[in-house]
Amino acid sequence: MLRIEDLWMLYGRKAVLKGVSLELEDGVGCVLGPNGAGKTTLIKCVAGILTPLRGRVYLDGVELSALSPRERAKLVSYVPQEISIKFPYRTLDIVLMGRNPYISPFATPSRRDEEIALEALRVLGIEHLAQSPFTSLSGGEKRLVLIARALAQGARLLLLDEPTSFLDFRNRIQVMSVIREVVEKTRRLALITLHDPNLASMFCDRVFMLKNGTIIASGGRDIINRETLKRLYEMDVEIVNVGGYPIIVPRTTLDSPS
Amino acid sequence: MSRTILFLALTFIALFVVSLQVGRMLFPIWSAVSSPVYRTIVVDVRLPRILAASLAGASLALAGAVFQNVFRNYLAGPGILGTTSGAAFGAAVAILLAPLTTVTVQLSSFSLGLAATMLSCSLARLVGESTLALVLSGMVVSALFSAGLGVIKYVADPYNKLPAIVYWLLGSFSGVRWCDLASSAPLMVLSALLIVSARWVLNVLSLSDEEAQSLGLSVRRWRMFFVALATLGTSASVSIAGMIAWIGVLSPHIARLVAGHDARSLVPSTALVGALLLLACDDIARSVSPAEIPISIVTHVVGAPTLFAILMRRRMYLAKD
Repeated sequence: MLRIEDLWMLYGRKAVLKGVSLELEDGVGCVLGPNGAGKTTLIKCVAGILTPLRGRVYLDGVELSALSPRERAKLVSYVPQEISIKFPYRTLDIVLMGRNPYISPFATPSRRDEEIALEALRVLGIEHLAQSPFTSLSGGEKRLVLIARALAQGARLLLLDEPTSFLDFRNRIQVMSVIREVVEKTRRLALITLHDPNLASMFCDRVFMLKNGTIIASGGRDIINRETLKRLYEMDVEIVNVGGYPIIVPRTTLDSPS
Repeated sequence: MSRTILFLALTFIALFVVSLQVGRMLFPIWSAVSSPVYRTIVVDVRLPRILAASLAGASLALAGAVFQNVFRNYLAGPGILGTTSGAAFGAAVAILLAPLTTVTVQLSSFSLGLAATMLSCSLARLVGESTLALVLSGMVVSALFSAGLGVIKYVADPYNKLPAIVYWLLGSFSGVRWCDLASSAPLMVLSALLIVSARWVLNVLSLSDEEAQSLGLSVRRWRMFFVALATLGTSASVSIAGMIAWIGVLSPHIARLVAGHDARSLVPSTALVGALLLLACDDIARSVSPAEIPISIVTHVVGAPTLFAILMRRRMYLAKD
């Protein structure tokens, strides 16, 4: 279980997170919110990349800020929004880097680390990419490789910062299904930030609505409704039922955004 | 992967043996066993010089590879944090002020190389200690020391001191003896061994700071570890042979081409390529003309077209990025 208690974060004098608390028992949790709401900051605070001003994060009762980076990396893995890999490493080498918390700095990955990395690629169905240079992959494939690296890290909590950004219509669905499937199969927790409430209502167990650094609503997918979305995005939406799925469509066009 | 390293190692050993034969005096190497004159030439003149060139080549190449990964930039080289400008300034000051002894020049260039790098690092801390801050501080410090070097060249006695400074700035292994090696070789060996044994970390360090941190790496500590080692190796090599251009930037590129980008094979390959390249260049420097050619002139002439050839081969690859 992931428990975040009263998290505060400041950039200079501007408060970005103002006492965020949330609990994720199981499965996939998703943070929805407009640009600048503090979603990425929240994920980075949980990942230990940013140090919050105040507040605590517990994973299965362990307080994460008390851990060394190495110990924390064994419990929490993070997939950033932007891909920063500059050199054309082999895809397998990228996934192997997920084993870093288990590899002594003065050693190199063992055969077992290599097997775990290959297995992670296999779980995501992309083992055929193992020997290809990472830089030659498509956007969707790159995203899957980074998820494979997070799996190879063996952490209980997966943090994904907008895993669907820059992906095409089909790949967004594929990446989200993969995340969902992996979380169910390996009994992990995932905390994801998303921009599309439709993806949240299709794939997530818990939804946290973040606006101006505070959680304005949280609960199951059923909290995604006209009233909460209106409060979150300050925009009117219509929810229509298509083949059993609720689909959220904007009601107003761009001429009246607020 | 390991076959590439083996091939490079064997080529290096072969070139090492051939280099013992290269020089103004032509004689079969085994005659050094019987003739004391030939023995002196091989053991006391050529061997320390060959060792110095190999070690300096490996150190500069490793520094280049380290800085490329730390700064996530193909163009980074040993001079990026001002190490080489500081060392050049230090040597010039020593030549200008002190009566010419190699020891003072070596010591002064070594310590100012280290000091310049430390200055870059502490300036970067004021700006926020990101890689960008480090690069910018490195530029600032390099510029300052280059200006200082300019002043010294301007005021130096043009008949006596200036040629010595210019000669030192172009680098040379001529006159390297065992006693010169004794001070700098242990530093170069130590830094090379530590860089090679911690090479896995360089893979993770080449990711963004955030990613590396989320993979459990204490980014600042390891970045400083590698910067310190690379600086130590560079300063030691500069102190023994003066400024040597190109090797630090070129060698990692050649190694990336033959061994790939994974630091596990890239780092040892880079060291071997650097040693091979500089040894070959030094062989040219001391054999093609009756007078010694400064080593940087050779590395420029060899390095520039080689880098161009590599970029031609990499063209398709770069287009994909």
